[in-house]
Amino acid sequence: MNLQLTLAARYLWGRKLRSFLTTLAIVIGVMVIMGTGIYMPTFMEAFQKSMLSASGQTDVMITHKTGEAFSVSVLNRVKNINGIRVAAGVIDRAINLPPNFYGRDADVMGLGIIGIDPNLAPQLRDYTLAQGRFLRQGDGNAAVISQRLADTLKLKLGDALKVPTTEGVVKLTIVGILPSRALIGNEQVLITLSQAQKLLDMPNRITTIEANLTTTDKAQGEAIVNQIKTELGANYTLGGLVSGSEFMGAIQMANVMFGMFGFFTLLMGGFIIFNTFRTIVAERRHDIGMLRAIGASRATIIGLILSEGLAQGVVGTAIGLGLGYLFGVGFVGLAEPMMKQFMNLTFSGGVIVEPALLIISIVLGVGVTLFAGLLPAFTASRVTPIEALRPSVGATITRIGRLSTLVGAGMIVIAILGLLSRRFELVALGGLLFLVGLVLVAPALVRPFANMFGALTARIFAREGTGELAQGNLTRQPSRAAITASATMIGIAIVVGVGGMMFSLTNTVVGLFEKSLGSDYLLLPPSVAIWKGDIGAGQGLANKIRAIDGVGVVSTLRYAQSYAKSAAIEGETMISVLGIDPIEYPKVGSLEFQKGNPADAFAALAREERNVIVNGVLAAQAGLNVGDPLPLSTPEGIQEYRIVAIGGDVLSMKINTAYISQAVMKIDFHKSEDIFYQINLAPNANPATVEQWLNAIVDDYPQFRLVVGREYLAEFRQQYDAIFNGFYVLLAILAFPSLIAILNTLAIGVIERTREIGMLRAIGATRRQVWRTIVAEALLLSALGTAFGILAGLYLSYVIVEGVGATGIFKMTYSLPFTGVLAATAVGLLFGVLAALVPARQASQMEIIKALRYE
Amino acid sequence: MSLVETENLTKIYGTGETAIVALDHVNLHIEPREFVAVMGPSGCGKSTLLHLIGGLDRPTEGRVRLDGQALDELSDDALAKLRRRRIGFVFQFFNLIPMLTAIENAALPLLLDGVNTAQAKQKASEWLTQVGLGARSHNRPDQLSAGQQQRVAIARALITEPVLVLADEPTGNLDTKSSDEIAALLQQVAKTWGRAVLMVTHDPRIAAYADRIVFLKDGTIVNETQLESARTDNAESVTRMIKAMA
Ligand SMILES: Nc1ncnc2c1ncn2[C@@H]1O[C@H](COP(=O)(O)OP(=O)(O)OP(=O)(O)O)[C@@H](O)[C@H]1O
Ligand SMILES: [Mg+2]
Repeated sequence: MNLQLTLAARYLWGRKLRSFLTTLAIVIGVMVIMGTGIYMPTFMEAFQKSMLSASGQTDVMITHKTGEAFSVSVLNRVKNINGIRVAAGVIDRAINLPPNFYGRDADVMGLGIIGIDPNLAPQLRDYTLAQGRFLRQGDGNAAVISQRLADTLKLKLGDALKVPTTEGVVKLTIVGILPSRALIGNEQVLITLSQAQKLLDMPNRITTIEANLTTTDKAQGEAIVNQIKTELGANYTLGGLVSGSEFMGAIQMANVMFGMFGFFTLLMGGFIIFNTFRTIVAERRHDIGMLRAIGASRATIIGLILSEGLAQGVVGTAIGLGLGYLFGVGFVGLAEPMMKQFMNLTFSGGVIVEPALLIISIVLGVGVTLFAGLLPAFTASRVTPIEALRPSVGATITRIGRLSTLVGAGMIVIAILGLLSRRFELVALGGLLFLVGLVLVAPALVRPFANMFGALTARIFAREGTGELAQGNLTRQPSRAAITASATMIGIAIVVGVGGMMFSLTNTVVGLFEKSLGSDYLLLPPSVAIWKGDIGAGQGLANKIRAIDGVGVVSTLRYAQSYAKSAAIEGETMISVLGIDPIEYPKVGSLEFQKGNPADAFAALAREERNVIVNGVLAAQAGLNVGDPLPLSTPEGIQEYRIVAIGGDVLSMKINTAYISQAVMKIDFHKSEDIFYQINLAPNANPATVEQWLNAIVDDYPQFRLVVGREYLAEFRQQYDAIFNGFYVLLAILAFPSLIAILNTLAIGVIERTREIGMLRAIGATRRQVWRTIVAEALLLSALGTAFGILAGLYLSYVIVEGVGATGIFKMTYSLPFTGVLAATAVGLLFGVLAALVPARQASQMEIIKALRYE
Repeated sequence: MSLVETENLTKIYGTGETAIVALDHVNLHIEPREFVAVMGPSGCGKSTLLHLIGGLDRPTEGRVRLDGQALDELSDDALAKLRRRRIGFVFQFFNLIPMLTAIENAALPLLLDGVNTAQAKQKASEWLTQVGLGARSHNRPDQLSAGQQQRVAIARALITEPVLVLADEPTGNLDTKSSDEIAALLQQVAKTWGRAVLMVTHDPRIAAYADRIVFLKDGTIVNETQLESARTDNAESVTRMIKAMA
């Protein structure tokens, strides 16, 4: 072993550039796995803790059906149930404030007083403070408030916050400040549970039980939830993760996708290593033969090659782990500001590195290297000693395996059928089959492809006939050419696939925000999306706004609470019913429709029948479809509505929501209060004067906040783009290994043809001609790889986009990444030429005599 | 019993119409300490004979015995071991591993045999001195002349103290002066260090260093001649013999 290691080290050192490039392939593969492995769980944990909790969604939330407070003893019953990791009682009370309670300038209309258990609460939700400290057991009139509330009221740590209570106005000392919630979330004032019970005169009572489960598995979670239901009976409502689980599912799927890309990257790394080892074995046939002649056993030779693999695997994996960690941390850092601002996510728990991730990265990194080295090592061990002594028979035309071509073609057909089936599992499986299938059929396609593009290169290198020579070189060794092309293909596929997904995601998300919030101006109530508790305004406000010179369209939302029964869920589901103006609403924005035709749906609502549009969460959870009836409880008893479409807005994405017309809402729910306004300017309006007027009007309605929609969206888009630009840079790095792959294959080609090149030179080919032959070959190879890669990448991104849509929660619209495809083509071809430079130089500089004597 | 005995050694490459009989029932004996040269026109089977005797390839028919041991009875690994310990090889090209120094190259068979590095290098250094290369033992092959490289190869062939040294055109790549030096060194291998040497060569002057010359033609031994080591006109008589045969 000592000898093998010495030799391995010498060989690696002797070929520094190649060793570096090969190791780099492993580094990048491990880096991607490690990096995304760090980023995704961190993101998910943050999402779970913060995003869900922001709208009141820990794993399980238990409230009384009436919405009233209940005895703490219920908490103990919940705590005793198996599978509850932590459960705590909470008091959550909205307090409406008298006008100008905090003075004229502060438009705070209401507060949410939240009484929490200071010890248990941080285990249920994210309470990372911007300043100060968290609540402690025994804190009296101490409070933790949000940054925005502090800013609005111009308060800082240590200041007193006046709050009306059953004991009169109480001054709470601010001990801590939480980061602001951007759109979603109340202005909350956190105090200890015992203090809340005292101040609100609710001794031994709570309004909510929040609990987290010991499991994250969906099925197990549902079992525990059912147990709680049985224990507490029909008087209690359970919410929480159950309704958010589809969204979590989408994120988990994203996690799987990222994992898959990491795996593909490593697979490509494996390809490169395989190729490199083939080069090594080809180069060293004489060395190996000589070693065998003087008495090295086969095992020794295998050990020699594998030692080299091991050395590179270990070094590459170690560096990859380090870089992957930095990459993960960097990406988290890059994403955090946006997440914080727009999704109200903080990565409070720090970066998470799961031990399993480390183990997987190491096993895959070292394992893939060794595995890739295995076949070449066996090939090496079969080198006969005589090969050290006599010229080899020469490169023969390798036969294309007909079986593997057929199998590959079959895989592609199955993949396409899977795609047509539109079932996510089949589509995802199809993605893998498609890639493998392409790799398998690649050798068979080399010849026609080379012929096709050969005509092109022949034109470029017209006078020398080098194009034909390059073409001949490729078709003579189709499987080797296919391996290189495959490596390029996987590289490009990853870039186009992830790029396409990102592109679609950006377009979809931006489109979604545009539809929901794309109007020129918005009037926002204190709590968006959790509408309950918002105080609206009568018809007068809308009329006043319409009267402003320069205002074009005004559309409002109205809100009512309801319940629905359905076969798919036990008991009742709480539903947030939104009343829209079916004529005006489509003018300022729209819903994101998953099923049904938007125009027809709005027209159906306008007919003043009991028609309803339900959002994705509700449809998925209650198993609803277009055409189904939806019985809703109203103050007039249960009324049957008909579902005309499935679609929703971005704010209500996670909340069971039904959209009906305002006219029907007035009849069934007796509600005509506007709680949310979307305003568009008239065509030639002057925004400045309109804004002035709007501000003046809103002053009289302090429960609303005026937001300029366009500015908000522009800012959102900018931040979003910034992140994805960073992502595209990372993608380019991912494509880098394919450069190494082409380089290696070309290098093998040159080595294997040393004699032929020497002969060409001897009979009068110029250095330039030899150089061009190699470059033309590289161009052909990379064109092949790039074409396949784009095909596979488009398929992959389509699969992901479809897959996310298939969960029924969030429909991404597939956008063809045109610029991405163009960029990939350019990069692929450029890489081909770049990779050719070294071997081409090597070939053209070859000394004729030496080359002829070679072998 | 001779050191090397071949019994009807036959090697046929390919099958059917394209079959080439490279060796045809060759019976050759080599005694311990004997220096034998093999000559003959290109393609007559010289290298094939060497390869079969060295256990690098397996015969189509017949067998090779080394010290009474039939090589065809040995497994691949056993053959490797035999080559490592009992046979030394010197080739025309590709003798040395370019990444290793002269001393490391010379030490290779011992290292392959599991001898510890220090000991192996000590031995290699001794042999390099013996073949006249003591001063250059830490140079890599590309820093040595072709003649010096062949000396390293000879040192390597001798390091395990084998009974037989096989050399296929060891001087094919060298100028006259270096060729003579290497031939003299091989003579010394047989006479001073007591190894049997089987050498393939095209050069009558080099063959003249041997004790005996075997002439091959179309895979069979067509002539054999014993040389008297004292005579100075050996080279001319060998040349005359070749001319007579052609
Ligand atoms: N691997 C092989 N496959 C087919 N034929 C072979 C093979 N090796 C050698 N031969 C043939 O066997 C015959 C003997 O070859 P060998 O190499 O032993 O000749 P040689 O005497 O060493 O020639 P030279 O003096 O040119 O080295 C030749 O006709 C050669 O073409
Ligand atoms: Mg020969």
